Amino acid sequence: MVDWLALSIPFAYLGILVGSLAVFSNLYRKNKATRAASLAPWFLPHLQRNIYLTLLHLEPEAGSPKVPDSVLKAALLRRATEDIHRLVAIRNAKQALSTLLQRGSVGDDLWQRFQRAEKEIEEELRDVVNEANAFSPNWGATIFQSASEMAQNAHMRTRIDEIQAQAAPEREWWERRKADIQSSFMKELDDDEAAKLPLTGSININNIKQSLAKGGSDDDAVLVEAGGPAAQVQGGAKGKKKKGKN
Amino acid sequence: MEEETFTLLPLHLDPTSKAISSTTTPSSALRDELAKLNSLHRSLLSPDCPNSIPPPPVPVNPKRSAQVNKLRETGNTSFRKSQHADAIRMYSLGIDMALGRPGWEPSGLVREEVSGLYANRAQAHMALQQWPEGAVDAECSVEMKKIGNAKAWWRRGKCLLEMGRLDEARDWIAQSLEFEANEQDLLALKKDIDNALLKKGK
Repeated sequence: MVDWLALSIPFAYLGILVGSLAVFSNLYRKNKATRAASLAPWFLPHLQRNIYLTLLHLEPEAGSPKVPDSVLKAALLRRATEDIHRLVAIRNAKQALSTLLQRGSVGDDLWQRFQRAEKEIEEELRDVVNEANAFSPNWGATIFQSASEMAQNAHMRTRIDEIQAQAAPEREWWERRKADIQSSFMKELDDDEAAKLPLTGSININNIKQSLAKGGSDDDAVLVEAGGPAAQVQGGAKGKKKKGKN
Repeated sequence: MEEETFTLLPLHLDPTSKAISSTTTPSSALRDELAKLNSLHRSLLSPDCPNSIPPPPVPVNPKRSAQVNKLRETGNTSFRKSQHADAIRMYSLGIDMALGRPGWEPSGLVREEVSGLYANRAQAHMALQQWPEGAVDAECSVEMKKIGNAKAWWRRGKCLLEMGRLDEARDWIAQSLEFEANEQDLLALKKDIDNALLKKGK
């Protein structure tokens, strides 16, 4: 006959041991999860993702039709483009961050936040590919190619716009500068007429440089005509120059 | 955490135009994003997107490339006939055309086209002695294509020299020589700038 009472003691011992271990590990994990969740997220809220999912779940109100697929596709593309930005940011940060972590320059918290962001972006990419495939069978394979081109194109266009925006201020500056040069030249000219002496050295350099630069252009020709047959005693380049500046 | 958590936004679909708008006053980020979304949606509805899905970037629609090339050729012809204003107009049209490509087409191609067109337009501006415009265009060209673009580097340097901005010109040429160390034109221009600086220093 088995002695149940004697046997129950080791079983009770085992039960208490396993039970306390389970409780401890459960509490520990929960604690860890809440600590990880309480860390600030790496990125700002994913606006494009929110828009896409909102549109997807938009209840058809009375009188308003269902959101058409084309709008959803556009929203998904925007979401993929934002993901590309985030992916690039993650990849750029990874090398530097792991070096800093090894040297102990940054805390463990930052590394955890980073790893969570990395995991999130992986899930996000998979999710986008699945959504794309749901719209059209092979779109998942190309959506990120398209999105990355879109990101680069957008970046390029903003750069061009930035540079081209300088054209107007530059032109203004140049007009002012030209007027300055002209007025100082005129002053020299007046002095010159009074003194009947050749131009001073510093202006001469300017003068020669400009006449080289102008080299018989349309601008110059117009100016010459506008100036009319003004005093042109000295022939050659010098005379032409003076007419231009009159 | 489960994947399907998201912040519900107060969005509204206009039944006729299919434009998405916000029902409350949107934050500036949301407003910008919705504007981009709507414009992307419009471009997706164009006929070269079957099923309103952007085609993969690689096989490029040759029509636009042909148009851009044609505009450049016309511009070059005008330039050779010294009709510089016409040339500038043609190049500008070409630039608009190249930049008007839908976003999902290869950006490398756009860079290539745009850098050539800006370099040519810079040259036309220089022929009209519009130094500031020439300088800006050449900078655009360089920004699009830094390597193998010695002409554009040279043109901005020259424009800066002509405007008397010697320090900027010197820095620019120094930068250009990092990319094109053996370009004779650039070295010659560097000498000119150094001479001008010397004279000014005197």
